Amino acid sequence: MPKHEPVLLKNMLQPGYTGSLADYERAGGYQALRTVLGKIPPAEVTHMVIKSGLRGRGGAGFPTGVKWGFLPKDYTGPKYLCCNADESEPGTFKDRQLMERDPHQVLEGIAIACYAIGVETAYIYIRGEFALGAKILEAAIREARAAGYLGTNVLGTGRTMNVWVHRGAGAYICGEETALLESLEGKRGLPRVKPPFPATHGLYNKPTVVNNVETLANLPHIITRGPDWFASIGSPPKSAGTRIFCVSGHVKRPGNYEVPMGITCRELIFEQAGGMRSDKPLKAFIPGGASAPFLTPDHLDVKLDFESVAQAGSMLGSGGVTVMEEGTDMVWAALRLTEFFYHESCGKCSPCREGSSWLVQTLRRIVAGQGRMQDLETLTDLCQNIAGRTVCAFGDAEVSPILSTLKYWRHEYEALIRAAEADGPTELLMPTAARH
Amino acid sequence: MPHAAVDTVTLTIDGHHLTVPKGTLVIEAARQAGVMVPHFCYHPKLKPDANCRMCLVEVEKMPKLQTACSTPVAEGMVVRTATTVVNEAHKSVLEFILANHPLDCPVCDQGGRCDLQDFSHQYTPTTSRFIEVKRVFPKEYFSPLIETQMNRCVQCLRCVRYCDEVMDVKALAPSGRGTMTEIKSFLHHELDCEFCGGCVQICPVGAITSRLSMYEYRPWMLKRADTVCTYCGDGCQITIQTKDNQLVEVMSAQGAGRNNGDLCARGFFGYHVSTHPDRLRHPLIRRDGVLVQATWEEALELVAETAVRLKLAHGPNAFAGLIAARCTNEDLYLFQKFMRLAIGTNHLDSSARYGQINGVRALRRVQGTHRWTVTFEDIVSADALLLVGTNITETNPITGLKVKEAVKKRQATLLTIDSLEPAVGAISNIANLSSHHFSVHPDRFKPAVLGLIKAVVEDGHVDPTLAQRAPAYLQTISDSVQDLSWPAIEAATGGTPESFREAARTFARSARAVILIGQGVLRTADGYGLATTLLDLLLLTGQHGRPGCGLAPLAEENNDQGAVEMGAVAEYLPGPGDLSDPAARSRVAQLWKEDLPQEPGLTLMPMLERARAGALKAMFIVGENPVGSLPLSAKAKEALQSLEFLACQELFLTETAQLAHVVLPACSYAEKDGTFTNTEGHVQAVRHAIDPIGESRPDWEIFSALSVLMGYPLEYGDAKEILKEIRSLIPDYGRLGPAPTPMRPATEAVDGYLHTGYATDAADRYALSGTGHEARGAGNDGHLTLLIAQSLFHSGKLSTRSKGLLQVQAEGSLTLNPADAARLGLADRDQVRVTNNLGAMTTTVMLAERVPKGLVLFPEHFDQEARRLLTVSTDPVTQVPYYKLTQVTIERL
Amino acid sequence: MLKEKYKAEIDEILSRYPVRRSALLPLLYLAQQEEGYVSEPAMKEIASILRLTPPQVYETVTFYTMFNLKPIGRFHIQVCKSLMCALVGSDPLIGWLEAKLDVKPGDTTKDGLFTLSKVECLGACGTGPMMQINSDYYERLTEEKVDRILADLKRDGTSTLKSGPFMWPEPAQRA
Ligand SMILES: Cc1cc2nc3c(=O)[nH]c(=O)nc-3n(C[C@H](O)[C@H](O)[C@H](O)COP(=O)(O)O)c2cc1C
Ligand code: SF4
Ligand code: FES
Repeated sequence: MPKHEPVLLKNMLQPGYTGSLADYERAGGYQALRTVLGKIPPAEVTHMVIKSGLRGRGGAGFPTGVKWGFLPKDYTGPKYLCCNADESEPGTFKDRQLMERDPHQVLEGIAIACYAIGVETAYIYIRGEFALGAKILEAAIREARAAGYLGTNVLGTGRTMNVWVHRGAGAYICGEETALLESLEGKRGLPRVKPPFPATHGLYNKPTVVNNVETLANLPHIITRGPDWFASIGSPPKSAGTRIFCVSGHVKRPGNYEVPMGITCRELIFEQAGGMRSDKPLKAFIPGGASAPFLTPDHLDVKLDFESVAQAGSMLGSGGVTVMEEGTDMVWAALRLTEFFYHESCGKCSPCREGSSWLVQTLRRIVAGQGRMQDLETLTDLCQNIAGRTVCAFGDAEVSPILSTLKYWRHEYEALIRAAEADGPTELLMPTAARH
Repeated sequence: MPHAAVDTVTLTIDGHHLTVPKGTLVIEAARQAGVMVPHFCYHPKLKPDANCRMCLVEVEKMPKLQTACSTPVAEGMVVRTATTVVNEAHKSVLEFILANHPLDCPVCDQGGRCDLQDFSHQYTPTTSRFIEVKRVFPKEYFSPLIETQMNRCVQCLRCVRYCDEVMDVKALAPSGRGTMTEIKSFLHHELDCEFCGGCVQICPVGAITSRLSMYEYRPWMLKRADTVCTYCGDGCQITIQTKDNQLVEVMSAQGAGRNNGDLCARGFFGYHVSTHPDRLRHPLIRRDGVLVQATWEEALELVAETAVRLKLAHGPNAFAGLIAARCTNEDLYLFQKFMRLAIGTNHLDSSARYGQINGVRALRRVQGTHRWTVTFEDIVSADALLLVGTNITETNPITGLKVKEAVKKRQATLLTIDSLEPAVGAISNIANLSSHHFSVHPDRFKPAVLGLIKAVVEDGHVDPTLAQRAPAYLQTISDSVQDLSWPAIEAATGGTPESFREAARTFARSARAVILIGQGVLRTADGYGLATTLLDLLLLTGQHGRPGCGLAPLAEENNDQGAVEMGAVAEYLPGPGDLSDPAARSRVAQLWKEDLPQEPGLTLMPMLERARAGALKAMFIVGENPVGSLPLSAKAKEALQSLEFLACQELFLTETAQLAHVVLPACSYAEKDGTFTNTEGHVQAVRHAIDPIGESRPDWEIFSALSVLMGYPLEYGDAKEILKEIRSLIPDYGRLGPAPTPMRPATEAVDGYLHTGYATDAADRYALSGTGHEARGAGNDGHLTLLIAQSLFHSGKLSTRSKGLLQVQAEGSLTLNPADAARLGLADRDQVRVTNNLGAMTTTVMLAERVPKGLVLFPEHFDQEARRLLTVSTDPVTQVPYYKLTQVTIERL
Repeated sequence: MLKEKYKAEIDEILSRYPVRRSALLPLLYLAQQEEGYVSEPAMKEIASILRLTPPQVYETVTFYTMFNLKPIGRFHIQVCKSLMCALVGSDPLIGWLEAKLDVKPGDTTKDGLFTLSKVECLGACGTGPMMQINSDYYERLTEEKVDRILADLKRDGTSTLKSGPFMWPEPAQRA
């Protein structure tokens, strides 16, 4: 029983709600846009967003209004808004639902942001695999244009807000905001060196804001119900509002649950998601997508807000909560995620590029029963040498699974290695190498 | 250069306090403090990419290590590059980079000068913790000249970034992702690009190397000589590396020369000419109609005796001399001195006559300078650049890079008037960077320039002071351009009045404007007049004489400019001074302690005519090949055959040398010392890299020897002594600093031009009529205009002996627009017959979007056959021969 | 030639961006839709439309996993193998598909109908195991459901078992 009211998922939970423009309008849609357009000065809208305490839902949790404020003030040239709909973080599947089920909510959020930051062109960068989502969004954009909510002369105010859907083509890294911009420019999705930040040098080197789908979808509600209302939900001031948590793994009812930030992990997993799928107890969980370090049953009472999760040694990230039951092989789990990161490393910077392949190979060797005790030290070392030394935050992400499983389940690694050693000295699978 | 005081920043690096300009990167500031931060991906020519992460340093108050290559300095910043933390970080990044590296140093051409080797030596332990499988890329053939060994690649992307950011070629594709990223061209195709060699030079490891020198050396075995490339007027500094008198490799260090280390295909891969097996190794004497080997004594005596005999019989003016502007200043100077003193005639000319002289004479006429009033630096910092009649990438690639730098890095506006269309191809195309491009037929540059001037006048962009300073001049030009109708200009050029107006506005409003003119102006009819008119444009807009502004004619040969300054052309004495100017004559006569011959000199075309008529008896031809260069209709061969005596100094037995009575083997630039003067007037040292091939001798030495035998001894111990003498005529010649101070226009000259000088030919220069041919372009009759053009991969005919360049372009083919090809039923590589009323030739065709409809291009380097189809006309003032354009029909074979 | 066949569509795509190169991914999709993969002539044509060099197109194509450089089967089955799906049984599912289709991941069935691939997370972690076939998602898979899907595809070229607009858990299931 949700003891709170969903905000973002509210419409789509209504029986028969199709996400059409008519349905959305009937549910009060586009009122917020009408409210702001011409009636609230853009700077005031930004101020409202700052006041609401809204923080980015894409992973980094940066205060949204503050980010908008970084755009150069007296700049009159073109600026851009990019809606980050790349949603590629393993364990995360909320943006897909927001876009496919209630696309106008996202579009209205985009329109409000366009208004606030003075942007005439916005791109929704959606991961290529979400072909259906792209189609639904495009249809919704057509509807919204026809109704005057988008296009030139929005609601008769003379403002232009063109929104285009731009499909990615299979690259996790394109969710990183500067890689997204590169990709949108038709290039390889390699993250840019920052600074300069997109706010001053973004798409086509012009001032640009990148916001996540869920972040933007919150905007109409902040306008309609006021920043104070928003700031009162969740665990303000740092973690205001609701969050859609995507629960996956060994639970009874995996899925998207919108709850106020600050409920505990236990509540989310055991009340919302119905608890463990079998009688096996919980062994581990990831609180914020594949990039977030694993946590243990000891952390079940940690509150799901930015600060608490960080304090527990992990991060809220993208809101993807993956639950693992007793019996899950943690070395195997770490390997699975490391394989993901190896596959997705763009290859731009040496530590991440070379490190990810090194980590994968070492883990595979351990899992294949060819580990050696000193591998654990090497793994730790490599992880430490990757983190903090790369162009983008991918480097920090890719070491999370290994460092955190080594922290809590080192004995599983050691057991694998000891078993291998007990079998006697084995020939290494791989050619040994490298005296140099 | 007058620059506003730059903002500076004071910081501390490893305890050194230093003050550097704002915006300096920490890695550069460190370098200035004598601290080398290890790096792979950073390169001063490229935008920071910070991908290798090797340059991490500690910056006080920053939580994480920062990449020195991408972090700009800040006031009060404290940087540490030598702490344990930094050292550990460097070690660890290197450990990552080495993980997948094959460590095949023993067979790697980079060994001994490899950044990875050097840093490994400095940082890493001798054993690696990496015991996994290294990634292996299947070996793929990359190109005839460039080899890739992707297992060695450290993925710094310097090659890719250089190819894009500096060259604008974009031929390299980093393909795949993650550890499996490899540098390729396109799918499995071999590399198709400008072959500038930049990727080879900029690769910090041995992943991209030159195939021309593969496995031939270890760097420490090589002897190096810093000298100057001989293939075009840009005058790039090159380092020739040799082993056992063999040319192994050419490179150019970052920061070196006017080219700042950049080169083109000719400079980087074209060096084998000097050691070509066909080089002449011994003197040759014609006996019983055939050229046979002789000793130097025999040959020199024969030349001297014959010269003395003919001079006695026919007088000195029965002689003429012709020299290539590829020779050194010392050669050129001594040649004209030899002709003027030992022989006693002014009948001498050089290859500067083919076009360079048009630019120089226009400059002298209007502003009294024989050189540019701008430098390469001015091109880079220009606000507006106007390129007329130059496919600059193919003729002067490095000046082209300056233009690219101005446009791509400094947001200069580029205006172009050229016959080529903007279109992307394997060779960069400057028109692609142009924001105002006028694609006009090669004989219609003049109406386009007049269109610009008309717009300047009509739209009020004329310098307000001009009305007072030169009312008649202004009136004449204003009246003339008002008389031109826009429809007529549009009909001639295809450019609308609006497009001219916009271009004129942009150009006229820019503070720093440079006009570059190339062969399309200098080597086609109207060259001299059009160069003059372009100076009018600068005078009208008030940009003339302003620092950073000026007209810059592009020299085609490496020492075209030197040839003029050395007086190796009929109308000039060294200086240059006018042959007809008594003051100039007496200065030279005083130094030479002898009177100069009186009779005005003959230029190339009249020389040939006089020879044909039997009035000339003997010629000295040095490195020039009129028989091979001029169209058949110029009858150069008949002319030379009519001579009683022809002596040639040459590297190869050219078409001209084959007619000689004596052929003397000369040294190439790689075996000589001396100086070259590049297109911007920068005098640079040429140093021998190898010993003379065979018995060949430097050209000046041969003149000197002949003069002695003829009884007019012009003796010098070495080239330096000649330079000393040159300096007594041209003070400080060749002592200009690293960045030359450009000449300033001479006020009296400009005033003279503005008052009376302009008037002599203003009517012609400002008339649309008389430009171009009547039947032009693809009419229904199927006529096309054939343009003989320069190719990037060759320079004259010399480079067609370079094995490297021949691998890129081995023969000439006719390029034409796909639409024309379709109309004529032609496909790429089809054999065609090209005809006009003069003759016919057979060749293959190639399609290229950038060749406009109605035009077909053939490279001059392979034009032996094409020369049948061409007529020659001669400029009435400068006597430059024009023969690059003609009408042809094409049919498939 | 794409230019002739899709002129209006290409013009519309180009009109969305102030810089031509941005149209690269959309045009590559068009090419792939046309031929099932991105062919060499298509890359060259796109390069010319966007005023790029072919290597610029190529470097971009090879960065993204969704573009095929070689022809593949009519139905491209991509099964997610990332951790979240693996926790709920994607490995046995892949085994099942391998057996049913008699191919290894990366290969195409002899009849040219199916290409099987293992891929990383497709953003459907709550409804795993899952797979994508061409542009459609199929979620909460069981062996029996997979059999039906394959049969549907063979027979009709499509299957009603594909996911609609995504909602999980479905409202009805919420107590
Ligand atoms: C490797 C990596 C992947 C990311 N993927 C996504 C993503 O799929 N979706 C997303 O919204 N943000 C993603 N982000 C975060 C974005 O870089 C950026 O912070 C976010 O889009 C900003 O929007 P927000 O402020 O609304 O959260 C990713 C970041 C990194 C470093
Ligand atoms: S040919 Fe010209 S541009 Fe090329 S390297 Fe030589 S001097 Fe430089
Ligand atoms: S040199 Fe700085 S990251 Fe490569």
